[in-house]
Amino acid sequence: WDDDEDAEADQVDDTDGLDPETERAAWKLRELKRVKRGREAIEVAEKEREEVERRRNLSKEEREAEDAEHLERQKEEREGKGKMG
Amino acid sequence: MSHRADAKRMLDDRGGYAGPTIHGINPAHLLDKPVLDRVVDSYYWKEQCFAINEETLCDRAVDMTYFGGTYGQQKPTPFVCLCLKLLQLMPERDIILEYLHQTEFKYLTALAAFYVRLTFEPAEDVYTTLEPLLGDYRKLRRRTRDGGYSLTYIDQFVDDLLTKDRICATILPRLTQRTQLEDDGKLEERESPLGAELDEIDQDSDDSSVMQINGNGVERDGSIISD
Repeated sequence: WDDDEDAEADQVDDTDGLDPETERAAWKLRELKRVKRGREAIEVAEKEREEVERRRNLSKEEREAEDAEHLERQKEEREGKGKMG
Repeated sequence: MSHRADAKRMLDDRGGYAGPTIHGINPAHLLDKPVLDRVVDSYYWKEQCFAINEETLCDRAVDMTYFGGTYGQQKPTPFVCLCLKLLQLMPERDIILEYLHQTEFKYLTALAAFYVRLTFEPAEDVYTTLEPLLGDYRKLRRRTRDGGYSLTYIDQFVDDLLTKDRICATILPRLTQRTQLEDDGKLEERESPLGAELDEIDQDSDDSSVMQINGNGVERDGSIISD
């Protein structure tokens, strides 16, 4: 803590209230991003819940058909990767 | 009873720790082992953190001009050293809240916030204690790992504490996600300090989305958008 590093530290100014309006505006932007992130998280959770609900309401055959389709797609993707190498 | 001083017992890693615990473990272990070792070996710890209490700790805390974990050759910042001291002292809740809410020394606030995140439980208590600080946009100087400095803000730091797993060279204890606590009815939805302003912004963006759907190409002030 006793190093002569003050000069470097001064390059980052942590004095508050130099430009109150800009400082508040910057905070507002950060806060809006947080609000947005929170809302998106809720949306994602909602979607997942809906998906689970939807799957539950399908008949056994429909579910299996969907799984088969999904597996088929995965397989294709894997083959695609192989060719790239 | 041990013949060793309390400080020694807390830092004795041969097992058989019998002192008070946080989250069921020796509080010193809330810091990562390598950082803990660096702190205990540092001059700052040995000279400035020796025989201080909750009150004299403030004298050290107000001298802080930056926060961070370790930098350069893994040199610990006074911030983590004082954090270990707090873990050792385990001040009463009221004292920590006093550190947190005093408005004169922002680095003391940051230190208290870090301590709250490390030690408070249950999770909803961490959220309710720290979230008010998301409205505090005072600037903080942060020591980065390479030894440089960067600028951040109290609200940003607190947000990181609530959402990230690792900060200031420390792996934070697991914290249940906010949405989960809301679903369980343990926590109310967070009210943004923007309050009414946020509603206005929502209103505006609703208007603009309606405009996009209508696709009439007219801006809100009535001028035609030219392609």
